[in-house]
Amino acid sequence: MSHKWGLAVDLDRCTGCEACVVACRAENNIPTAGEDQAARGRTIQWIRVERTWEGDFPNPKVRFQPVLCQQCDAAPCEPVCPTYASYHTEEGLNGQVYNRCIGTRFCANACPYTVRSFNFFNPAWEKPLNLQLNPDVSVRSVGIMEKCTFCVQRIKSAEILAESEKRELKDGEFTTACAQSCASKALVFGDLNDPNSEVTRMATSNRATKLLGELGTKPNVTYLERGTWQDATNS
Amino acid sequence: MERRNFLKISALTGVAATLDACHAPDKQLIRFVQEEDLVPGIATIKPSICTLCSAGCGLEVRVMQGDAEVIRNGQTGIIKMGLAKKLEGNPRSPVNQGKLCARGQAGLQVLYHPDRITHPIQRTGARGSGEFQQISWDDAIKEVSSHLSGLQTSKSMSGLSFLARPLRGQRRELIGKFLKAFGAPPAVWYEPFDEAVLRQANLLSFGHAALPTLNLGRADYVLSFGADFLGTWNSPVSQSIGYGAMRQGRAGRRAKFVQVESRMSQTGANADEWIACKPGTEGALALGIAHVILREKLAPNSAASRAGAQIAGWAAGLPKYTPQVVEKQTGISAAVITRLAHEIARSGAATAFAGGAPLAQTNGLFNALAVNALESLVDAGRETGSNSGPILSFAPDVPTSIAAKLETSQASLASLTALAKATPQMLLLYDANPIYFAPAATKIREAIAKIPYVVSFGSFIDETSAQADLILPEHAPLEQWLDGQPESGSTQAYISVAPPAVAPLHNTRPMTDVLLGLAHQLGGDFAKALPWTSFDAMLKAAYTALRTQDASMKTKTDDEFWTAVQKDGGWVGASPTAQARSAAATSKSASISASGIQSEPEFAGAAADFPFYFQPYVSQSLGDGSTANLPWMQELPDVLTTAMWSSWVEINQKTAAKLGIQQGDLVEIQSTQGSLRVPAVLSPGIAPDLIAMPTGQGHEDFGRFASKRGANPLAILALVTEGKTGSLAWAATRVKITRVGGPEQAKLVLFSGGLSGFPHEEESR
Repeated sequence: MSHKWGLAVDLDRCTGCEACVVACRAENNIPTAGEDQAARGRTIQWIRVERTWEGDFPNPKVRFQPVLCQQCDAAPCEPVCPTYASYHTEEGLNGQVYNRCIGTRFCANACPYTVRSFNFFNPAWEKPLNLQLNPDVSVRSVGIMEKCTFCVQRIKSAEILAESEKRELKDGEFTTACAQSCASKALVFGDLNDPNSEVTRMATSNRATKLLGELGTKPNVTYLERGTWQDATNS
Repeated sequence: MERRNFLKISALTGVAATLDACHAPDKQLIRFVQEEDLVPGIATIKPSICTLCSAGCGLEVRVMQGDAEVIRNGQTGIIKMGLAKKLEGNPRSPVNQGKLCARGQAGLQVLYHPDRITHPIQRTGARGSGEFQQISWDDAIKEVSSHLSGLQTSKSMSGLSFLARPLRGQRRELIGKFLKAFGAPPAVWYEPFDEAVLRQANLLSFGHAALPTLNLGRADYVLSFGADFLGTWNSPVSQSIGYGAMRQGRAGRRAKFVQVESRMSQTGANADEWIACKPGTEGALALGIAHVILREKLAPNSAASRAGAQIAGWAAGLPKYTPQVVEKQTGISAAVITRLAHEIARSGAATAFAGGAPLAQTNGLFNALAVNALESLVDAGRETGSNSGPILSFAPDVPTSIAAKLETSQASLASLTALAKATPQMLLLYDANPIYFAPAATKIREAIAKIPYVVSFGSFIDETSAQADLILPEHAPLEQWLDGQPESGSTQAYISVAPPAVAPLHNTRPMTDVLLGLAHQLGGDFAKALPWTSFDAMLKAAYTALRTQDASMKTKTDDEFWTAVQKDGGWVGASPTAQARSAAATSKSASISASGIQSEPEFAGAAADFPFYFQPYVSQSLGDGSTANLPWMQELPDVLTTAMWSSWVEINQKTAAKLGIQQGDLVEIQSTQGSLRVPAVLSPGIAPDLIAMPTGQGHEDFGRFASKRGANPLAILALVTEGKTGSLAWAATRVKITRVGGPEQAKLVLFSGGLSGFPHEEESR
């Protein structure tokens, strides 16, 4: 069975704790920018938690929304790349081939979700912080674009393991770093081609929406709307 | 000879030959044969325990082989060793169930921090000058033991003090036994945000001097008074797991969550209803709600039993707390109070709890007791004795004497001020940095300066260890034997233990082994009190006592049991029965009277001169400041303001407009104790008469990432305490605020950038 990877984000469960942000940083060798570069807007995060304020004191409302690469089926970032660094993989991911990338930043310009980051400087890890680097993920150098890969290294190793054991992948057998850390289980990763997977169930929920779905980007990330409390005692 | 040993020896011989010929002695290859059976490229998962907060989550460490530059036997070189690459939650831990928070993930950066002290150092310059020189472990231990015998000779054993962050488990036992055998006073445990008030209240209300375990997954209605239970309070990972389940874990049943606080926290931002209450009046609000429930007979007075008995006027239906009276005290309308009472009383399983700022008032104990009484009144699960048990309960005791209990009702602040007054001859510091964490008004800096000999076990130079005469750096947590007894977060009895996940990088030693070594050198009573040669021997002796308590392990030997416990990273007791769970919510131990507690809050600073309440709050990423040196945490945007690498104060938008303060302006905050300057962040989620500020920044001396960055709100707190427990009332200081500059002077970095404070510079590469 071919796979189509997807992620569902239950906004009713998300607490804005940002465990996913640090888990992603650790898993994917994302460098810290430092104060001066961060002040220039050059910090890199493959997943960020957006927050929206509505209303005023004493009734302010806040909504949290984790935003990461939506791994679109009709991705605006792909056709604009002159070097085919941004391309579509067979399993539906928006791939980024680092050593093809020449840093035109057209893809970042085209992406409506602003989830692509440019490497403004060569990353550095002061020794021995470098010993933490995950050997399964390459470190990116100055001048190229990077973004969420759906932890493709985890996908690949799980697929290789399943193939070597001559079996199908099971739902929940592995997950992305962000979803693994998520305590409230707001983030669920899985195979959208598997009709019984948790992510398929969530993607077809009546609370399911797509971020900027009206743009026709066909994202593979689904957001489940926040619920409301039904006061059973008043009816 | 085994093949492996043969290989080792021949490799070492080869190395010795190479070393002779080597011209760059700092990059010598020490060893070809790795010490562990690691396959390159294949990850091994090892259990450990998170030490970045007191929740005690279980860890799984992903260990892979790599080349590390290390010092062995005084020689620098590169060896192949197991390296920790990623931390995940341990799925076998009943507290965090395979999940891990943002701060926990950053535990790796403690291990690999470039500022770690890599070998013992001795002060050479003046105190605080930062001038140290390297000495050998032998000399360092000799130094300490000669000072200890000096105290013995002069019969001033009580002149030894030990100051640490509150610990649980065998580490605490070891320190206690060491001090007792020496004849020194018990250790002083200090942390800025201690929970003495809540433990005391829970002892009075429920018979358990502990933090509560919240089984939110079965709640239909949650009323939280100031508790940042999804971010920084109690056991956040455990509570977040329950929160997810209460939102969407049950088809067609979604709980309502109401948060009462005066500054919107990350937790409050998730609430269905957020209610701003005047600081210090949260208890009155709880009693107002209880008044309506009792008046309308939605629950009987007796439902609150023991907890209600602590509140004056409870039996009579709280006549002094009508919604109209409470409206005047709290600023919350009587209609809202009545509605909340109706909602909570008619919901299925409901709970109420308090944490954080409401308890850090001069009337903190009153607030906590009032909320506890409301909780007892509304927790329907306990009344019906239903199979699922109560929402709020207490972690069952581990059934053996190894369970070291905290001296719970003792407030941190009181013991610290006692230490400052006693001026001991010699001070041992372990994971404690009182010069940063205690308000300047405690004069602890001056007190430490007067102590003739100060030894720190710290891994980093911080404000306090910079004053030390000798630093004996510890292993990082992942490099040593750990054990833990989570106070809350699990409905099953649980203790955790884990062997080192990785070999040490530097020439460091665990504090535990240093103390045991000293005990052996000093001999006499010490050898009897601490017969073990290493900490893991002590752990094994303690934990194997558990074997007979575990039905599945009765037939196994002690060694088999010990191996199994290490592999799982801990021991989990059986799931308690419903009866046991109800008992865990209220114990029947003798009641203690709570008479004479203060019900009205008081604040330091006259309202005319200092018109704003000041509320420091625990930072989601930097905690109380102990993780401020981790770059991942500095660069984690605060989820409500998106600020990073910065300090700031939050102020209500309308108040700011009146005072002419704009986003990012530099403001001065002044209390009776001093002042600090930070940028302002305008927020709709804060009461107009409140200034809030995250803790964690403002370190003078805490390595390259944290030093000289922002300001520390703890520094300007007045020394006001909760009346009954003596705990620091950290939310009871008043301040004034003045604009002193524009954003270009303030250096506020937001996720989207912060260019005004950072003028454009031409860059070239």
